[in-house]
Amino acid sequence: MEFTLQLAFAGVCVGSAYALIAMGLSLTFWTTRTLNFGQGSLLMVGAVATVALLGAGVPAVAAVALAIALAGALMVVAERVAIRPLLKSGDSMGWVVSTLGFGLFLQGFVAKFYGSQAIAFPSLIFTSLDFVDVFGIQVSAQYLAVLTLSVALMVAMEIFLLRSAWGRAVRAVSHDADVAALAGIPVRRVVVLSFVASGALAGVAGVMVAQITGTVDPQFGFNLMVLGFVAAVFGGMGSIVGALVGGIALGVAEKLAGGFISTAFGDAVAFAILMAVLAIRPQGLFGRREMTKV
Amino acid sequence: MLRDKLAVLSDARFIFALIIALGVAAEFVSGSTVQIWSFVLINVLIAQSINVLTGIAGQISLGHAGFLAIGAYGSALLMKSLGLPLPLSLVAATLMGAAAGWILSFAAGRVREFYLAMMTLGFGMISYEVVREWTGVTGGVAGLPGVPSPALRTLNVFGVNLGEVGYFHLMLGVTAIVLWLLRNFITSPYGRAFFAIHVSEVAAGSIGIPRAGTKREAYTLSAALMGLAGGFYAHLVGYLGPESFHLHRSVEALVMAVVGGLGTLSGPVLGAALFTYLPEQLQFFTDYQFMVYGLILMLSFVLLPRGLAGLVLPRTRFIKRLTPLRSADADGRGTEAPAAIPARDDETTPLLRVSALAISFLGLRALDDVTLELKPGHILGLVGPNGSGKSTLVNVISGIYRPDAGRVVFEGRDITGLADYRVARLGIIRTFQDPRLVPGFSVRENVLLGAHRLYRQNQLAAAVDWPSALREEKRMLAGADKVIAMAGLSALADSIVRDLPYGDQRMTELARVLLADPRMVLLDEPTAGLSEGELKKLALVLQHLKQQDIAVVLIEHHMEFLRDLVDEVVVLNSGRVIYRGDMAGMYRSAQVIEAYLGGDSHAAAPAGGQGGRDA
Repeated sequence: MEFTLQLAFAGVCVGSAYALIAMGLSLTFWTTRTLNFGQGSLLMVGAVATVALLGAGVPAVAAVALAIALAGALMVVAERVAIRPLLKSGDSMGWVVSTLGFGLFLQGFVAKFYGSQAIAFPSLIFTSLDFVDVFGIQVSAQYLAVLTLSVALMVAMEIFLLRSAWGRAVRAVSHDADVAALAGIPVRRVVVLSFVASGALAGVAGVMVAQITGTVDPQFGFNLMVLGFVAAVFGGMGSIVGALVGGIALGVAEKLAGGFISTAFGDAVAFAILMAVLAIRPQGLFGRREMTKV
Repeated sequence: MLRDKLAVLSDARFIFALIIALGVAAEFVSGSTVQIWSFVLINVLIAQSINVLTGIAGQISLGHAGFLAIGAYGSALLMKSLGLPLPLSLVAATLMGAAAGWILSFAAGRVREFYLAMMTLGFGMISYEVVREWTGVTGGVAGLPGVPSPALRTLNVFGVNLGEVGYFHLMLGVTAIVLWLLRNFITSPYGRAFFAIHVSEVAAGSIGIPRAGTKREAYTLSAALMGLAGGFYAHLVGYLGPESFHLHRSVEALVMAVVGGLGTLSGPVLGAALFTYLPEQLQFFTDYQFMVYGLILMLSFVLLPRGLAGLVLPRTRFIKRLTPLRSADADGRGTEAPAAIPARDDETTPLLRVSALAISFLGLRALDDVTLELKPGHILGLVGPNGSGKSTLVNVISGIYRPDAGRVVFEGRDITGLADYRVARLGIIRTFQDPRLVPGFSVRENVLLGAHRLYRQNQLAAAVDWPSALREEKRMLAGADKVIAMAGLSALADSIVRDLPYGDQRMTELARVLLADPRMVLLDEPTAGLSEGELKKLALVLQHLKQQDIAVVLIEHHMEFLRDLVDEVVVLNSGRVIYRGDMAGMYRSAQVIEAYLGGDSHAAAPAGGQGGRDA
């Protein structure tokens, strides 16, 4: 029982990180109906850049902040190069392929200049040996930190979107970009902002997950991007609550499958869930079927 | 011009000569060259596989390596463990790939665009995980050594040891046959249907092309090619490990097809050759492979939207080079006008009977208790303000929407809620407010799509150019020429639709309707955007349909145009029928006047000759 609970708790924690990744994907989906298939590489860049900066003697707080800023800045490039030129074709194939290419490029770049071997990610706040006692269960402090930070970030984002002028602008653009432009909303700036925020969230998620896994390599992040997408569609693309529920459900399912069947099965289960959710209910549990006008 | 000089590259005789030359040359070149040529052939199959699914049928796949793994491990294990002979194990690999594609199509057929991209990505990842973790069967991370292979001198076919050159000959022959079959297939109605699905599933349905079935064909065919490539690959290398089937393999397949030219037949061959040779020749390329692939994927859609083939080679044809059949039996389908049958008014039973139809969208009543009838050879004008439900009514009749209540009966048969492509196959053909054509097709190719419901050949006959299939195609081509002439497009028959003005596109769509040999035609604002001359032609075509006893429903705002043509007008407002009768009566109807002008007014209702367009 204790084992099950520990697994479930670990699942909730990693699930919250998936939700955070899902939120990064949702942000650009709201403003442009696109999402970055290379998002995984931004997670990787966030983590690798942190290691590199720490190695160069930059203090931890500054290193993490710079790495996150780098991920956000790269997303501006992605929007400019891999998404905007391909939007006018009206076909999603172009930007799916080009953002995937963007991610591969970053992956190749890091592999070329930092090596394709896994590098150790240092403990920033807690070590993997720190445990906290929660209701009689030994809980890893790192996992707990991930959960707290993810939920806090998501709540902050939700409040920002609902209350601030920028948040309202994002929602207006998401509803109808043309009408938003007519209403005087600087659509271009809102779009770019959403991409920066999406990249920064990916950077944060990358640093947090790397903290748990302890190592990063160029392929780090790819599976996480897919898992984040599963979380996003599970609750309906674009829904924050849905992403949180979806991410946690996915994390728990993955950890339980990994703990009771085989750790190797964890990923396969997650991908199977992805295919099942898409096949059975593409609009997600909380989403409403999009009306297509004929 | 370069393109003209290179046209020889896609000439059948040149390709045949090239294949023979390669086969002969393989005897004289070094072993490593034969090895590279063998890899080119495998990559040709891989690139064509992704091209069939993504380039032609428009279904993106980021997990194609999964099918390759199924074919490779399937063939290797069947031969290694069960001792199956090579020809059988290759056939089995192809069938296993096909089966996997067929199964995946049920899930994948339900999603589109980036959801599909993610789903196929998931499929690829699962396949990789299975190969890596199912150690008992695949050898897991350690791999599967000792696959019978020509390099190890362990590949025997019916007692004869097959060397590297022999294996190359086998692959060359099979690849050549596969390319020949593919060419025949994509120039057949089934291949054109792939393109129709690619461009618009709704438009494809309206001419009788089933979207689920067509996608299933595309997945099955594409995965079969990948399975075959996998089988060849397994025996060529003699050792299988999971890393050969990771994401990068799927990406490589995509890169070859995209750079070569998606949606063409020659492009993927160019792409395959290029990306087999580059890593061999350029150390730089190997060092920076991921970055190069990434850059290519990122930029090629912008810089090279139609690939190398689109740049240097002649356009891929989607019609076989045949002379249209002009014999008597060419017109067995009724494109020849029969003796004009006068419209019999009261004796004839209605062709279409719509009763008490109702449908709501998100609580909004779009149609409410709509009842109408239409006799053969009659033209019904459907009139009403924007948002009154005209298009919705046409969408319900043509099977795009399923009504909440009421019935649609056609020729005595209840077709309520029948799938759109089945409705079309019964002979109810419709158009849309905006012409929905395949932009990259010529006028003739687009028009020929209309005949889809009339074809009797099966996929196999289409792929091998069976004589009866060719005869049928010739008949259809003759019919196409006839309707193209009727629409006044003869001079433009070989022009690409993308480059034509709007009016010509509308007339192309009309010709497509005519070729479908319809029983009933539903036209959604056909006059919009037509010139004066085109309007006259449209009126002639409608009269021709009437003479042939074909019923027509015409959504129109152009009252003058309707006046001379229609037998009856139905006016809709807020989803309800507010008037039914002749044109003259419509102008006097108080309800119609109110619907158009709101409240009391002295002016006549729908102003002749002008009108807005539905959104």
